Amino acid sequence: MSPSATDSPPIRVEGLARAFNGVPAVREVSFTVGAGEIHALCGHNGAGKSTVVKMLSGQLAPDRGRIVIGGEPVELRSRQAAQRAGVALVDQELSVVPALTVLDNMLLGDLDVPFVNRRRKAVARCRRILDDMGLERISPDQPLSALGIGERQLVEVAKALGQNARLVILDEPTATLSDAESRHVFAAIRRVAATGCSVIFVSHRLTEVLELCDVVTVLRDGRDVATHPAEDLTVDELITKMLGQTRRPPSAAREPGRDRAPGLRIEHLRVPGRLADFTLTAQAGRIHALAGQLGSGASDVLRALAGLHPGATGTAELRGRPVALGDPVGAARGGIAFVSGDRKSEGLFLGKPTAWNLVATRLPTLGRAGVVRTRRERRTARSLAERSGLPERWLDEPVVTLSGGNQQKVFVGRCLEHENVRALLLDEPTRGVDVGGRAEIHRLLRQAADAGLVVMFASTELEELLDLGDVIVTMRDGRTVRRYEGDTDGALLLRDMTHGPGPS
Amino acid sequence: MNTADDSEGASRRWRPRAVAVGLAVLLLVLLLVPAVTTPRFLTLDNARAILASAAFVGITSVGATMVMIAGSGVSLATSQIATVVAMLFLGPQHLGLWTALLIALAAGIALSAAQGAVIGFWNADPIVLTIAGGFAIGGAATWFSGGSTVYPAARGFDVLNATPLGLPLAVYVLLAVTVLVEGTLRRTTAGRQMYLVGENRAAARAAGLPVGRVTVIAWAVSGACVALTGIFLASFHTSATVTLGGTLTLDAIAAVLVGGTAISGGHGSAVRTLGGAVLISVISDVLLLRGYSTGVQILVKGVLVLAVVVLVHVRATRGRR
Repeated sequence: MSPSATDSPPIRVEGLARAFNGVPAVREVSFTVGAGEIHALCGHNGAGKSTVVKMLSGQLAPDRGRIVIGGEPVELRSRQAAQRAGVALVDQELSVVPALTVLDNMLLGDLDVPFVNRRRKAVARCRRILDDMGLERISPDQPLSALGIGERQLVEVAKALGQNARLVILDEPTATLSDAESRHVFAAIRRVAATGCSVIFVSHRLTEVLELCDVVTVLRDGRDVATHPAEDLTVDELITKMLGQTRRPPSAAREPGRDRAPGLRIEHLRVPGRLADFTLTAQAGRIHALAGQLGSGASDVLRALAGLHPGATGTAELRGRPVALGDPVGAARGGIAFVSGDRKSEGLFLGKPTAWNLVATRLPTLGRAGVVRTRRERRTARSLAERSGLPERWLDEPVVTLSGGNQQKVFVGRCLEHENVRALLLDEPTRGVDVGGRAEIHRLLRQAADAGLVVMFASTELEELLDLGDVIVTMRDGRTVRRYEGDTDGALLLRDMTHGPGPS
Repeated sequence: MNTADDSEGASRRWRPRAVAVGLAVLLLVLLLVPAVTTPRFLTLDNARAILASAAFVGITSVGATMVMIAGSGVSLATSQIATVVAMLFLGPQHLGLWTALLIALAAGIALSAAQGAVIGFWNADPIVLTIAGGFAIGGAATWFSGGSTVYPAARGFDVLNATPLGLPLAVYVLLAVTVLVEGTLRRTTAGRQMYLVGENRAAARAAGLPVGRVTVIAWAVSGACVALTGIFLASFHTSATVTLGGTLTLDAIAAVLVGGTAISGGHGSAVRTLGGAVLISVISDVLLLRGYSTGVQILVKGVLVLAVVVLVHVRATRGRR
């Protein structure tokens, strides 16, 4: 399985760098991928993996450095250009069209489709690709909407593998797949590699990485820090390389024990296809962190409690009162405030002033007989703005004009000092937030907990989990892995979040 | 691309508002100059005529504003509801005016609120639903009336055709409805929630706002307004046929759009819709006085709607993208 032609590697990346608004995401990354080699890119969140993948697939232009394919430096200005240069990408997000058939999806965006489509040939080719993937049960004429989410992902992988590319990049292809489905994908990847195609594999599941890949390149802080043959590595060594030598000093001592008010009791919470079984009792006054990567089910716990998963089953009690699952209005009335990870489309009312956003969920408490008392509204908005660290002059500005960090402060501020709210649930509370804003939001969450709320958040970022979590629950594949109280080690968390296809 | 990443936080990028105001002023000047130079335009009688002709459509369009702000787009079943209400108003005249009024109003509210409930609670598409609803309601009207004209058994409704101070009663009702709807939108919890639901329905849902209830309230108010229009139409014509509603549906939508309410929801006001309705009336009046045909009036109305919608769209999107 070792690379055959090491003298002239078909894919070479030299000193790639890219910054966003002056903040470097990738500082300097170089590596080579041989013909037929399966090459893993590993790194913790923010290490620069996605940015490297985007540059290789033509979605982002590098600031510095170059990409050499087959000895020729290439400039990939678009995904089409990358495709012409022989780069095929399987994205994290599904980019297949449910309304079309499997065959149509395969042909979609394929540069080799002749002007006059020869259908019989296309069907035969599609059939062959599907068979290669172990997907005999899927017919090319089936509409994609008839398939499950895992099968759709398999079709997407099949589409990329069927493009006769020189380089196939798979970015978290198995995050939403079951073990059996993953095995089919791996088999297909090996078969493609055996034909001499180079493969770059990005995954958070480290056992998977070591099992499948020939070579592993570790990224940290936008640099490639190590490249090793996979057979020389163990999961623990890989985690150490991903985290680097600098261990964070344990954060300020936390007071465990103390008699806590009864909080949020969750029992056997299930969301079909996303969350297998989740049980946790969260006390008021402590911050509970759900640590899990994409597809782990961590954010689904929060969404289900907020009433946004209609199919959720199980029981949840907040201060002894049952929480209505599948009913967002009931959840809010029962005392749950949810801060979505998607601030723009599911969070704020972007075109409306900051003041309106701050009081959006407490309008009934500001009025008498259904009429809003404007002076009281103003006073409340002002006090919330002050509490959330927002200058008063922004109250009348539409929130769309605020920076990401300040928008997030508005979002969190909306849930504070709210007479109904007993539990604050946040999905990725500091996504797209600058360092300063992050610290302030963490301070707000700590204050909320001190004020007696149940605070629970889902995050993929170790630093945030360790800084903020009094109780940390690691999750993988829709299941709880372990529960940590007080201070713990980032390496342990990371191993729980990434190790193996299923919890042991 | 880095609109929101501005480190200062709040930035001044609402210049398009100035552009929009400028264009609106230009539009008004273009309208007013020919109007003022038209003989007989600046007379009290003509002003009354303009208001009177704006009243019927105006009442419905003020209610439709609420539906549009709350993010439900438009109702395409408006004229059918008005027709049914007119029949239900004239039919039971023998029970007395007040009973007939109550029946008519209740019918309008119920028919509209029922559609609002399907849209608000089950996420139905308003266009599809109200096309279907319009056919069902119109069909029922034809069925019950046997396709013939409904004549009242008593003439108690004549008081609704009164013209205190020289203006039809409907004009006073239009003003009252505008004040009420505007007050509801600006000052009440439900009104504020309508703006929020219209601005971002997914966010309103995730925040636990009562999206369904708010939608039903908007549609119920709109239904009441349509019912008022139906009642006045019935009184004015003293009889009701299945074609009574006429072009009410699209006329009302035109007035709301000319008033600058965003069809995507979240922005707009009842007062502006009143302005839109009056503006359309003024233009029709000027064209009429200058001897243009009905065809030209309708054509100009279409151009006006298009111009305002483009203007609103420019204002709404420039600031964001």
